[in-house]
Amino acid sequence: MEIDLTLNDDDVTFEAARSDTLLDVLRDNGYTGAKRGCDTGNCGFCTVIVDGEPVKSCIRPASQLEGADVETIESLGTQDDLGPVQSAFVDNAALQCGFCIPGMIMRSKVLLEETPNPDEAEIRDALSENLCRCTGYEKIIDAVQDASTRMSGEADVAADGGYPDGDDAGCGCGYPDGGCGK
Amino acid sequence: MSKTNEPNTDETDEERTADTSKVEEANPVEWDEAPNNRKEPTERRVVSHREEKDDAKKIVTGEAKYAADYAREFPNLAEAKIVRSDIAHGVVTDIDTSAAAAMDDVYAVVTPDSPEVPNKPYTSAGQSYPEPSPWDLRVLRRRVRFVGDPIAAVVAEDKDTASKAARKLDVSYEEYDAVFDTAEATKPEAPQIHDPDEVENHQPGADYERNVEANVSGEIGDVDAAFAEAEERDDLTVIETEWETPYQSHCVPEPHTTIAHRDEDNRHHLISSTQVPYHTRRQLSHLFDVPVKDIQVSKPRIGAGFGSKQGMHTEPIAMALAEAADRPVMVETTRREQFHAVRNRRPARVTLRSVVTDDGNLRALDMDAVTNSGAYGPHGMTVSSAVGKKPLPLYTHTPNIRFEATAVHTNLPVAGAFRGYGAPQGHLAVEGHMDEIAHELDLDPIELRSRNVISEGDLDVASGILKDKEYGRRIRSCGLDECIAEGRAAIGWDDIEQPDADHLHRACGMALTIQSSGVPGDELGAAHIKMNEDGSFILQTGAVDIGPGADTVMAQIAAEVLGVPPADVLVQPSDTDISPFDHGAYASSTTYITGQAVKKAAEDARGMLFEFASRMLDEPESALTVEEEAVVSEVTGESVSLEEIGYESMYGDEVRAHVMGDASHCTEESPPPFGAQFVDVTVNEETGEFEIHDMVYAVDCGVALNPDLVEGQVEGAMHMSYELATGDGIVFDEEGQPETLGFRDYDMPTTADQPPMTSIIVETHEPTGPFGAKSVAEIPVNGVPPALSNAVRRAVGVRVGDLPITPEKIKAALDDD
Repeated sequence: MEIDLTLNDDDVTFEAARSDTLLDVLRDNGYTGAKRGCDTGNCGFCTVIVDGEPVKSCIRPASQLEGADVETIESLGTQDDLGPVQSAFVDNAALQCGFCIPGMIMRSKVLLEETPNPDEAEIRDALSENLCRCTGYEKIIDAVQDASTRMSGEADVAADGGYPDGDDAGCGCGYPDGGCGK
Repeated sequence: MSKTNEPNTDETDEERTADTSKVEEANPVEWDEAPNNRKEPTERRVVSHREEKDDAKKIVTGEAKYAADYAREFPNLAEAKIVRSDIAHGVVTDIDTSAAAAMDDVYAVVTPDSPEVPNKPYTSAGQSYPEPSPWDLRVLRRRVRFVGDPIAAVVAEDKDTASKAARKLDVSYEEYDAVFDTAEATKPEAPQIHDPDEVENHQPGADYERNVEANVSGEIGDVDAAFAEAEERDDLTVIETEWETPYQSHCVPEPHTTIAHRDEDNRHHLISSTQVPYHTRRQLSHLFDVPVKDIQVSKPRIGAGFGSKQGMHTEPIAMALAEAADRPVMVETTRREQFHAVRNRRPARVTLRSVVTDDGNLRALDMDAVTNSGAYGPHGMTVSSAVGKKPLPLYTHTPNIRFEATAVHTNLPVAGAFRGYGAPQGHLAVEGHMDEIAHELDLDPIELRSRNVISEGDLDVASGILKDKEYGRRIRSCGLDECIAEGRAAIGWDDIEQPDADHLHRACGMALTIQSSGVPGDELGAAHIKMNEDGSFILQTGAVDIGPGADTVMAQIAAEVLGVPPADVLVQPSDTDISPFDHGAYASSTTYITGQAVKKAAEDARGMLFEFASRMLDEPESALTVEEEAVVSEVTGESVSLEEIGYESMYGDEVRAHVMGDASHCTEESPPPFGAQFVDVTVNEETGEFEIHDMVYAVDCGVALNPDLVEGQVEGAMHMSYELATGDGIVFDEEGQPETLGFRDYDMPTTADQPPMTSIIVETHEPTGPFGAKSVAEIPVNGVPPALSNAVRRAVGVRVGDLPITPEKIKAALDDD
């Protein structure tokens, strides 16, 4: 069957089998940022945004997507020009193996659009359907808080991504401010 | 790897005592440290800075490519489904593949009889050669030993078709009695799981008639005499405790995935999610009887390993299927397979007996561990050994120590390598036991430990307890005292306030931790670095970055030596055709072993830079140094940029030579990192429910080469350690059928239920490590189970020693009181 949808602001038509999920269709067409972690909707690695809502694409049948507006990690910034959530994840070292990160970023993006200044409990609640095995979530929570600050325009962000200014100016590596080049 | 199985005779005991001075002499405190290895914080330009992870940007844009992301590069790629045993124990009497094979778009159905499927015994364990694991596996099996044993595989146009075809296989079994408990499995009447004649490379102490995969033991001093003395004397106390841990899943984000195909040179090429590309290449070569030169294993980005990818799980089937289907094949495991058919942390039962003086000095430790290997033996002997030999060095001053480990087969899933490698099971016993001693003697648990624990300058002999020769490891860096002091302050050990409600009780518990940095005298890391015209470098190492950031740390080490920013050192991912040899990402070895090879290779290249600069500046090499992307004369202050040297070296008039460096590193040293875990908990004595207020871990990993990455290791490992302490692990019904089939059934903490964590880095300097570094990736996984068990004990007076620690168990123990 053919499915017409809007993908990252482009009108596209995808060929799909009846049993295909949104994740299957995305990955078959080169949008491999969404990862396959469980195929049962329990890990969140495949999270994308459908009509403004975070959706686990591995359990969303492709057949239900006619006319949908789908956003994937590929729609955010490029490596030369990262979006605020992406750069916050980079600058807070909020990633290790990275397999959960595209889904985690898409989930965070929706949170911050709906709740621009979430407190820690709100962040923890919003991300609770996206698993991460590497980080213990600590730096991910920091990153989302930092992204919130950046998106509110309250912080200057260095052109290279840099380290966010805060109470602990400098990068915390033990050097005087700027001593390590950060 | 050597070990003793025979009980120590009095004669050997005498030898041990007599030889201590020789061991002391062979491991002097002094270490001939390489020049410029020790740098003050202000002298470090790149190392110990929070440099950005080199793959961070491509991860956040979704461009980082993992094994399955390469599928699109193979237009005629076929996909596979592995057919697994439905029963726990028996034999496949017949497989009718005709209906599946007749389906459209099915390219091949393979069984143990298929010519493409090797029928040699091998081990999946990705270890040094010859592997210290029994060769007891076959790629596909008629004789099945657990629910999940692979018996056939289907390869088809796509995964759905392969799965449909797999369901059409008609499999008949003859079922055997099964056994699921290690105590039952060693009884004479228990069903025998392996025929010893079908297993090669038996490990020490193997007794397959009793389902014993391996049995090892060792002794320092005379433990029996110490216990006999304790019976006679009032001032000596004997304490005995028992501990138990369950199956734990790695929960690797990226399921094990392999793409296998023949390249344009007709060689076998595998793109695989592996921690051990070189071991895998060698093992595939032996298994398929294909020359090493005809196999290439490429490691793309890896969605974490934690030990689960320290072995071959999908590679042999993928390679066989690619031959059978005569086209590229991808084998991508399902999450269900991840939980019960791949690998897990082995359950263990540990008993620990001690003799201690009234003032808290340890006189004897007698530790016995029985672990559950499940159906096969990869890593069985070595992990079981580590249950004792990893944590016991904390108390190496104990004059009499004995340890015995037995790895037992059952008809449950296969245990393998898992972050910590036996140390978490051992730490629960050792560090839980220390608190029981403290309680019995009415001593502060920290004070008790301080009286007995290892410190800098000491000789550790306990880590060699299973070796059949005298062995000692000199401790050249140890920050335990500071870890304890900082952790104690951060958790608020000395000023816990009790809640107002009478039924709530708050307390802190703690545990010390120790690990190693690589397998001493075994692991080999190598590196090659070459300069581009613009003064940047390409670094090739066998270091296998599986997520923690090894490539970034390697770049930092090279950049520190060469005077360039780390972004000017491009690290190529491990690939057996390109990278120098490396044993792989395991045993907490990468930074310590491969990092030292990288440092030496960079120094080698720097020597060539100085040769060119000496000619170009007309200065002696001895006057030269590197800084700010240039070689500078310390005498005249004149400099020549690396770019100028780059062009001169390639296109100059005088001497043309590519600026390169290479080096290998292998060492008998394996310095332990140290750490102190603290947990602050409030327990409800009416319900057994508990709330963790904070988990603090202070770690001494030498010089933290990248504090961001070190904190990431500590926090991620504490998360796993907490889950081991409180999660149900993997559970089975009475037929051996797994009841944990997905994340939904498994207690992996989410953002909503992960308790708060605090990580603290305590810097020491390890003279044998690159720029003073030791390992950090595994050690923080050891601490939460004993620290939480100890905290609960201190809060409400009951001990939960069998994991998981649950409100139900606390309540039951309180009711028994």
